[in-house]
Amino acid sequence: MSDELDKLLARLKEIQAEGSQEINQAVNKEKLNDIRVKFMGRKGKLTEILHSMKDVAPENRRTLGQQVNSLRDKFQASLDQANQDLTHKLIEQRLEEEKLDVTLPGREPLMGSKHVLRIMEDDLEKFFIGMGYQVVQGPEIETDHYCFEMMNLPKDHPARDMQATFWIDDEHLLRTQTSGDQARVLEKHDCSQGPLKMVGPGKVYRRDDDDATHSHQFMQMEGLVVDKHVTMGDLKGTLEMIAKHVFGSTETRLRPSYFPFTEPSVEMDVRCFNCGGKGCPICKYEGWIEVLGAGMVHPNVLENAGIDSNVYGGFAFGVGLDRFAILKYSIDDIRDFYTNDIRFLTQFRQEED
Amino acid sequence: MLISYNWLQDFLKLDIEPAVLAEKITRTGVEIPTTDHPMDGLKKLVVGHVLTCEKVEGTHLHKCQVEVGEDEPIQIVCGAPNVASSQDVIVALHGARIAGNEKIKRGKIRGIESNGMICGLQEIGFPDKLVPAKYLHGIFVFPADSEVEPGQDVYHALGMDDYIFDFDITPNRADTLSMEGAAYEVGAIIDQKPKIEQIVLKEDGPAWTDSLKVEVDPKLAPKYYLRKLTGVKITESPLWLQTRLWNAGIRPVNNVVDATNYAMLLTGQPLHAYDAKTFADGKLAVRKAQAGEKLELLNEKELDLDAQDIVIANGKQAVGLAGVMGGLHSEVTDETTDVLLEAAVFDPALVRKTALRHANRTDASARFEKGLNWDNVQKGIDIAAMLMRNHAQATVDEGLLKASDEQRQPVVVKTTVSHINHVLGTKLSGEAVVNIFDRLGFGHELADDDLTITVPNRRWDIEIPADLIEEVGRLYGYDNLESTQPLLPETHGGYSERETKIRRLRKLVEGQGLNETINYTLTAPKAAKLFTKSDHRLVKVSWPMNSGRSALRQSLMIGLLEAVSYNFTHQQDQLTMFEQGRVYNLDNGKYNELEHLAAIYTGTAANHNWQKQDQPIDFYWVKGQLTALLAAVGLTDLTFKAAVIPGMHPTRTAAVYAGERYLGFVGMLAPILAVKNKNLQGHDMYGYELNLEALLPLMTTGVKNEPAPKYPGMERDISLLIDKGITNAQVVDCIKENGGKYLQDVQVMDVYDGMQIEHGKKSLSYRLLFLNKEATLTEDVVNKAIAKIDTALFDQLEAKIR
Repeated sequence: MSDELDKLLARLKEIQAEGSQEINQAVNKEKLNDIRVKFMGRKGKLTEILHSMKDVAPENRRTLGQQVNSLRDKFQASLDQANQDLTHKLIEQRLEEEKLDVTLPGREPLMGSKHVLRIMEDDLEKFFIGMGYQVVQGPEIETDHYCFEMMNLPKDHPARDMQATFWIDDEHLLRTQTSGDQARVLEKHDCSQGPLKMVGPGKVYRRDDDDATHSHQFMQMEGLVVDKHVTMGDLKGTLEMIAKHVFGSTETRLRPSYFPFTEPSVEMDVRCFNCGGKGCPICKYEGWIEVLGAGMVHPNVLENAGIDSNVYGGFAFGVGLDRFAILKYSIDDIRDFYTNDIRFLTQFRQEED
Repeated sequence: MLISYNWLQDFLKLDIEPAVLAEKITRTGVEIPTTDHPMDGLKKLVVGHVLTCEKVEGTHLHKCQVEVGEDEPIQIVCGAPNVASSQDVIVALHGARIAGNEKIKRGKIRGIESNGMICGLQEIGFPDKLVPAKYLHGIFVFPADSEVEPGQDVYHALGMDDYIFDFDITPNRADTLSMEGAAYEVGAIIDQKPKIEQIVLKEDGPAWTDSLKVEVDPKLAPKYYLRKLTGVKITESPLWLQTRLWNAGIRPVNNVVDATNYAMLLTGQPLHAYDAKTFADGKLAVRKAQAGEKLELLNEKELDLDAQDIVIANGKQAVGLAGVMGGLHSEVTDETTDVLLEAAVFDPALVRKTALRHANRTDASARFEKGLNWDNVQKGIDIAAMLMRNHAQATVDEGLLKASDEQRQPVVVKTTVSHINHVLGTKLSGEAVVNIFDRLGFGHELADDDLTITVPNRRWDIEIPADLIEEVGRLYGYDNLESTQPLLPETHGGYSERETKIRRLRKLVEGQGLNETINYTLTAPKAAKLFTKSDHRLVKVSWPMNSGRSALRQSLMIGLLEAVSYNFTHQQDQLTMFEQGRVYNLDNGKYNELEHLAAIYTGTAANHNWQKQDQPIDFYWVKGQLTALLAAVGLTDLTFKAAVIPGMHPTRTAAVYAGERYLGFVGMLAPILAVKNKNLQGHDMYGYELNLEALLPLMTTGVKNEPAPKYPGMERDISLLIDKGITNAQVVDCIKENGGKYLQDVQVMDVYDGMQIEHGKKSLSYRLLFLNKEATLTEDVVNKAIAKIDTALFDQLEAKIR
């Protein structure tokens, strides 16, 4: 009877060798399933061995049973492993097929941009709002009254020649300066209710032939502070902050100047940030660059607006946004702002806030 | 005005470097943008004495032996027509540098040895306009009285060792338009009293004042002085006088004209010399011009005079334009023997208008306009007369004729030391303040805090306390002011609600991929009327620079179109641009400025890419952008109606309404634009323009949270066949009216009118979204709604449901 056992055990060995080989050679999951059925299915080879158990002596059946189960477990483990390996292989294959050339360019959506003059304007507005200034707008079609007369520029005043004007009719004109906003705001402001702090940005117009340094249209920002105790030292401090904010300049100088609406009047220069004062084309070899005009509000301007100049006073300043942008970004032709070449426009994106 | 450093030395002791002084003057008084040192860059230029000068046969050249202070004379070949022996000339020696950094070397000209060059003034850096007429086309010859020695440098004799400050004066500081005025200013700055000399003129001719009947309207000329000089001999002025003139930017002419110019430079008082023959009829009048009167000026300009022009006239006609320029026929010529010299104060406003009217501004008119020192009129005329006496052999006839002589009293201004300190933010003592007025040469009285200042007539810009504050501030030094920040009660900074909304719109549009532009307000009148439904009148400027910039735009699109056209000519055709700005019109005599927002699109809806997913921009892309933009500011219920707008495609443009309110338009730009502007050819352009005055009030602010729905919705698709002429809006309106309260949204899924479809019809498919926010929807409810919609579409629009 032990012969029978030996025969079956030998047969088991053959099955083990055959099954292991088939599992190793299986190339897909279907094949693995076939192998499972062939060896472990209801009519599989291991089941056949168990069916032959009856021919084995009872005392040996246990040994044989153990051997068969052990082999079944081995097969199952091998099949599981093979299955897992195949899955990994499939995933790897798939991923390989999905491979992209990541160096090809991406699809870029259209990106907008802010005009460089608007960048200057917005930046300065935020700067002043932070210091408690209101942003005020006024009309571009201004009256002689607000643009000139209220600003202490009566008719026939020689200083009117400083600003060649586009007249519309006898009374109306395209504003040559944003100062008209000052007059309008002063008229409305009730000084007894607190200080006035405003900036007024906007377009202005002068009768000039357009060339690299002249434009018949440009942008200004006007500033005005009026209260009981506003000094020229306060003006100086404020102007220095502007210079520092816009140009990073720490060295500035004030020069006496003349504007009909301020007295005293000054202009501020900053040390040429390009050459540091040695002289270069940007500062026209002067070492200094004129950046703005300012002064203490002329008593006539206050009185014209019904404000008692014996009690109240203040300062005003005006900056050219075009000029600021030209200096800050080394722009060499003022017409670039208004011809709007798309390449010119988009380069300033990185300066937006 | 150009102010000579050397001339200033007549008045002040200057031991300060010119550059340092210039910076000081700039910071304290008048801006000096540039300081010129004419000899800069020049080398080895000496005085030469021409010993012999022989013509080189067959050429225009001369061979000259020239003494230049060396052991032997040197030989120079000279091509100038006016070279001659015995002349003192400018010689550039071997190794010299002349204007334009040009180097002079010895060499041979036509085989003849030449050891230098005899120079004209231009060759050593003089501009043409300063060179005396007789030396304009040849070499310069030193006048006989020049006291120059061969071999010495030419710079001093020609005034080229000077430093010339360019006083860039502001209109209020015309007091520095004279050497004396400049000396007062610089003296105040460096704390020195300038030495201003008074003169006493010797009159040795007969009394003359009864020989001329002079009529002057003192309103036109509050001061009008005349002197007569006889026996004048016209020649060249002495060199020292010529150098002072050309260093001041004035070309020397002759000893009479130069005398008047010199006196003007010194005193600030413009003068005019007439040939006395002009008034041979014994009459002189200062009056307004008569209708039809004509005058030919010195510069040969013929004027039709205006009734507001002030003229100087003899008994017959106008002979000079007062304060501006003399007439050609009263001019001093080489034959003149008797001169009538005029010094006056004319009405500044009238002179200004006359100079502007005839486009003829002069050094004199600039001074009359900006004001004169009324106390210097006599000094001006006496200086000029004295110079003619000294240099033109003139006899000064006895008597100064004062045809008008109004007086101006010095201005007295009262203020307080504390007020000055309050405005400047300083803590100056009364003494310190008084010291400043002392430096300025102003009269002053200090009683405790009260300050009384008497302003001399030479500073007619000072009238009110603020003017005094400026004087104190600038002379104390703006550099010395402490920088402070205003210490004021708290103010709340920010934008108005309107400005905030406008900025929000700009930001949204930029986020949609549009690039902001700023375009010109002024355009051509025809262009200004495009892209608007408005029939309001154009606003035009009365004196435009050119016709292309004469009217104020009524749309922003016209500027965007110009920008796009510019970019097309620069090979840029992928363009999405916007502008936010104003448009203008005139309505019933009222000027209006309206804030608008406009966008223009051409090219593709994304940048070019290798995957060929570049969708060309079309009407629906732009409409989608506009719809999304408006939705973002709370406007979802919009109506689009086909509309005709000048400049827009007549069948591809819609007017946009929110309720009844017209917001603007969206569409394709008219192809016909490319007929007039070839740059636009081959480009499809789309865009929109919105009137923000209509839009801003509709923009929502303040959102109330609405929770996201918890219950699922239901979608149903319907397809229908319908007449081609029926619009999507009609169908959607019908669906919405009949869809019941749970219909949330209607989306167009497909539009088809191709081959498979009956002629004159189209097929439309919609997806309907139903949702009950309170409970789960039942099939039954939705089925009922759909049935009602189907019926309505059939009944109202004859739609066949498919």
